[in-house]
Amino acid sequence: MINCTCIVQEGQTPDLRKGEMLNLLNRFASASFGQEAQTAWVPVAPGHGFTAGKPSTSSVVSITSNEPLNPERRESLLRELVALWTDETGCTVDEVVAVISDPTTQR
Amino acid sequence: MPLYICNARKGTLDEASRASIAEAITNIHCSVTGAPADFVHAVFFEDAPQFPLEDKTLFVRGTIRKGRTDEQKDQIAGLIRAALAEHGDTDAQETNALIRETPASWVLEGGEIMPEPGEEAEWFAAQEARRAGEGSHH
Repeated sequence: MINCTCIVQEGQTPDLRKGEMLNLLNRFASASFGQEAQTAWVPVAPGHGFTAGKPSTSSVVSITSNEPLNPERRESLLRELVALWTDETGCTVDEVVAVISDPTTQR
Repeated sequence: MPLYICNARKGTLDEASRASIAEAITNIHCSVTGAPADFVHAVFFEDAPQFPLEDKTLFVRGTIRKGRTDEQKDQIAGLIRAALAEHGDTDAQETNALIRETPASWVLEGGEIMPEPGEEAEWFAAQEARRAGEGSHH
C-alpha cells in the first residue's frame, strides 16, 4: 500500500467529496506506483489553520512512494497530483501543498 | 513548507492561544532560518492520534526544508517549546517539539517546486508573475 496523508481544511472539501478524493488518490497511487493508497484523512477545524501567522485555507497532501524517484518523475507526479486535487476540490494551486517522499527517509 | 503540526490535549488551547502560537512559530522559523513568512504553515489538532502526545500536553512536529544546520533545528525546537509553554500556559516539561527535514524538491507549493533555502527570491518573482497573469485574464 502507498501511504498517503491528507490534512484538509474542514468545510473546504465538502464531506460528500471525501469518498471521491479517496477514490481519486487510489487511482493515482495505482497508476503511479502500482499499489492502492492507504489514506489518513485529517480534517483541520475552522480557525485551526494558519499561514504566515494568519488564518489559512491551505491543505496538504503527502504521499510516500514505494521506490526512489528521479527529479523529473517526481515533479511530473506532483503536478499531476495537484491538478487532480484542484480539479476535484475547486481549490486553487495556492491552497494545496503536495509532497511525494521517497520511502524510509523520515525518522 | 515548512509545516508545523501542533497537537494538544483537549481544552488546552483556545482561539487566542492558537493564534499566538501560530504567530510565534512563524516568527521563530523566519528569524532562525531567514525564510519568508509566507512559507510557514501551522495547523492545530486536539488529541489527534496521528501525532502522538505521549506523556506531554502540547506537541509540535515541524517538517522543514532540508539544508538547515543541526544547531538551527535545535534552536527552532527549543524556542517553540518555550512558546508553547508561554502561550499554552503550560510547564515547559509538558511540551515537546521535533523537527524533521524534507528536500525542497519533494514539495510542490503554489504550483511550483519549492526553492532551496536561500533561493526564494526567484521563486517568489515567478509566483507574482503567475498571479499577475491570472489576474489579467479575469
